[in-house]
Amino acid sequence: MPFEALDPLLHSQLRLAVMSLLISVESADFVYIKEQTGATAGNLSVQIDKLSSAGYISVEKKFEGKKPKTTCKITQTGVDAFENYVKNIQQYLKP
Amino acid sequence: MEDKELSPQESLDLIQQMIGKARKRYTDNSFYFLLWGWITIVASVFHYVAASYTSFEYPYAGWSLTVVGAIVSMVKGSKDGRTAKVHNYTDKMYGWLWASLGIGMFTIIFNGQLLGWSVVPFILLFAGIGTSVSGAMMNFLPLRIGAVIFWLLALAAFRVDPNQQMLLMASGVAFGYLIPGYIMKSNAKKNAI
Repeated sequence: MPFEALDPLLHSQLRLAVMSLLISVESADFVYIKEQTGATAGNLSVQIDKLSSAGYISVEKKFEGKKPKTTCKITQTGVDAFENYVKNIQQYLKP
Repeated sequence: MEDKELSPQESLDLIQQMIGKARKRYTDNSFYFLLWGWITIVASVFHYVAASYTSFEYPYAGWSLTVVGAIVSMVKGSKDGRTAKVHNYTDKMYGWLWASLGIGMFTIIFNGQLLGWSVVPFILLFAGIGTSVSGAMMNFLPLRIGAVIFWLLALAAFRVDPNQQMLLMASGVAFGYLIPGYIMKSNAKKNAI
């Protein structure tokens, strides 16, 4: 069986880490994702924008008092893409 | 962490690592167990003493504390929800479980007259469901032991008069809410959350 190409959007360290975190929770704050991934705010922001543009995650920006709060949530498209990605890497890892 | 490409094995390891991080979070819900434990003990002991040893006309007056408890729980729950950095499915299920049980308990108490005020056995059964499911969700043995105690006391409560039921209620929350609540609080301190 030919191997399917891995989703380039998920086959990158930081974006995959973000998706793996979000698949396990209902929603997560930007600060939480930054702490768990150890990424810089700038890089994380760029990768979150890419995932959001692809429709893999939804991003809600609001203010809590005077502080901005960005909340990310995985979408059904994101869940499907993630499951598909995991299925494909398992193909690569089969002996 | 950078934006580098990974090998399939590195990808799988990263997924496992991140899912593990999201799951590791220890939830400290001791506040609610201690709040409701103390409210119930004060109200039930007051009820028993006032009804058995005094001529006080309103031995059930202490139960008005439950209204304070409901307001405090709702305000804290809503504030914690707004400020939380991450929302887990477990926390959501936990909130819905206790809110549903709370509605059930208030409905039973509100219709107490129709049950001859013999409401405690039902409240104990409901409390047992809440502690048992919470114990399973948090993988926390003291809550599951508390649930068994609640259910045994419910069996006894069906066989005594409403006034004596108050003592069983106080014992139930001591074992089912307070002891697990204090253990949970101490564990949370150890985990430094």
